[in-house]
Amino acid sequence: MPIEVIMPKVDMDMASGKIVSWHVAEGKAVSKGEPLFDIETDKAAMEIEAPADGILHHSAAEGMEIPIGAPCAWLYAEGEAVRDQPEAFAGSDAAVEPVSTGRGGAPDKTGVAETGAEHGDNIRATPRARSLAADAGLDIATVSGSGPRGRVQAADVQGAQRARLTRAAPSLPPAGCHAEIDALAVTRSRGGTGTPIILIHGFASDASSWAALGTHLKHRPLIQIDLPSHGKSPKLRVDSFADLVKSVRRAFDGLGVERAHLVGHSLGGAAGLALADTRPERPASLTLIAPAGLGPDINGAALSGICHASRPESLGPWLRSLVADEAIITDAYVRLAMSGRSAPALRAAQIALADILFPDGAQAFDLRAALNRIETPTRIIWGKQDAIIPWRHALRAPGKMGLHLFEGIGHMPHIECAAAVGAIVQSYA
Amino acid sequence: MSGPGNTDLRQLSYAEALREAMDISLCEDERVILIGEDIGVYGGAFQVTGDLVEKYGPDRVLDTPISELGGAGVAIGAAMTGLRPIFEFQFADFATLALEQIVNQAAKIRYMLGGAVSVPVVMRFPAGSGTGAAAQHSQSLEAWTAHVPGLKVVQPATPADAKGLLLAALEDPDPVMIYEHKLLYKMKGHVPEGHYTTPIGKAAIMRTGGDLTIVATAIMVHRALAAAETLAGEGIDAEVIDLRTLRPMDRETVLASVRKTGRLICVYEGVKTLGVGAEVSAMVAESDAFDFLDTPIVRLGGAECPIPYNPKLEEAAVPQTPAILGAARDMARGRI
Repeated sequence: MPIEVIMPKVDMDMASGKIVSWHVAEGKAVSKGEPLFDIETDKAAMEIEAPADGILHHSAAEGMEIPIGAPCAWLYAEGEAVRDQPEAFAGSDAAVEPVSTGRGGAPDKTGVAETGAEHGDNIRATPRARSLAADAGLDIATVSGSGPRGRVQAADVQGAQRARLTRAAPSLPPAGCHAEIDALAVTRSRGGTGTPIILIHGFASDASSWAALGTHLKHRPLIQIDLPSHGKSPKLRVDSFADLVKSVRRAFDGLGVERAHLVGHSLGGAAGLALADTRPERPASLTLIAPAGLGPDINGAALSGICHASRPESLGPWLRSLVADEAIITDAYVRLAMSGRSAPALRAAQIALADILFPDGAQAFDLRAALNRIETPTRIIWGKQDAIIPWRHALRAPGKMGLHLFEGIGHMPHIECAAAVGAIVQSYA
Repeated sequence: MSGPGNTDLRQLSYAEALREAMDISLCEDERVILIGEDIGVYGGAFQVTGDLVEKYGPDRVLDTPISELGGAGVAIGAAMTGLRPIFEFQFADFATLALEQIVNQAAKIRYMLGGAVSVPVVMRFPAGSGTGAAAQHSQSLEAWTAHVPGLKVVQPATPADAKGLLLAALEDPDPVMIYEHKLLYKMKGHVPEGHYTTPIGKAAIMRTGGDLTIVATAIMVHRALAAAETLAGEGIDAEVIDLRTLRPMDRETVLASVRKTGRLICVYEGVKTLGVGAEVSAMVAESDAFDFLDTPIVRLGGAECPIPYNPKLEEAAVPQTPAILGAARDMARGRI
């Protein structure tokens, strides 16, 4: 079977690309990884490598505009019989006649439409994506696909829909503001350029816990997600870890960012890890700070104490158990933390959530397989005096991941040694 | 039936549940008789009939000679003339010898006689691989009979459904084929006391979930549930449906689930090609649920070969939990 060479998606807004030139002549051999052709999009020009070894046939004419995911050429194995062109090119002919193929005559004009919008049938899209697009009045040809071989899937259409709805106000909330994406609060705390850093806080905490680390992360947009039943997402309830991950995934998809550095602490680390597992292409890096999900043990008494505490006097001792040097948890800090969790409904929701996620003081979800599976560059940061989740869980990470173990630090490295943690995150970003 | 303290609920094995169903029906209905090879004093090839011959005597628990065609013919004739026979094959594989009686007689008689006579026979087929019994004693041929209008075909996956479906089969006016997976005979589960029926033609949602749908039959239900448990820990929320009946198939339960999740994996032990999964997939593709699909459908079925004797190869010839996990992860992670 010949191997298809498809128009790749090289930037986020790209719907199609123009073939500028072929590096390899029709009928000549090419090896996997060698430059095969140049493309041009609205924004950029780019060299595309051969996806496999083979002999180039049926290459699209230079100057042709090809939608993402549609074939531009086929690579045949040595000695493989060259068939008629498997299907007509989906692209529009911007410069020259499409190449004549083994059809034995003039190219079949019916297969070559004039504009992107008219040849929906040559676009890879799932039935659900098509029906969502039809309902929303979106032209599927304008949606770029994130699925295998550029296939447009439901999430892509939903993303395009959101992008359209928020074109006036970009889906990244402006600095200093927060927006709700599918009920989960997303705060952009600072502007900046380049790949954003997304921060996911831990259980019974909220986005404000990133304040110290934020001062050490320069020049990047910082986006904070408030977990369900936490912080600025108080009303959202989830009844399983899968639901929690799903809500975070929806918020992440809704942001419409193509790539982001993910940083998660404790339960937020588990959510970040599950996110990297199910959206493998999108995280540029993953930093897990004392993450949950890597073993059964967790300090149930502390979790229970924090989420039950109704005033600073009961919250303080438990907050101090989170850190190695108790002096950093000042009375003022305790009062501030308490003010963020003064609503009885919020505390009740967190108590219920603790019972689901950590029944009988055990971690009810297990992400060790995911940790071994993900290909995202990942580092794990842990304090060796962590009294909430044992740092030894970090030893379950595969060798390719970096471990940063801090002496004299507890469960909150991003607060206790924010500068050092910031430097580690920055070394990726 | 369930509720507080349900850990004390009565547990029976799948084989015991079947025996209890037969015991109840033999006791309650004098028209019920058991027919099969070695089901009397020997207690059945898999000890399902057990000591029922001692309780009901050889007139109601009939041993036949080694002739599946003859025994099945006797059972079908008895059903036509007013009895409620339950016929046991020693192995589903040997039902091939009785297909003339099943396909040409039992399935056709009510139709060809204008409804004047029905054939309320129940046939039990010990099926499936995993017992080291090699190519002629390990097959899953349920799709063969499920292809024939006039027959009903059920595949219970739990002890409770084994009992409930057998009792429902006895109440049904038409021939009902029950495929029993041999590896399930020893599996224990809660079985309610007394007479109850599990509706024929109704699938069971064994686990609810929103990310993908796994439609499974027989032992694959348990492998799918094990996979779903692991997936839940990874943030992937799978819905598991036990199809329970192959003919008539419960369209609505499957379609409603696919409309919700947009992703479908079919897992069954029979050979993949032209099997149960082909029907489930086609049913979805032909329906309005098609518009909700967000990935290609995946079928996990038996390999295209006879079941090997070598235990490792035998295991590899049918879907195991890791294959279901792999397919579900690929699906959830957008790799297929």
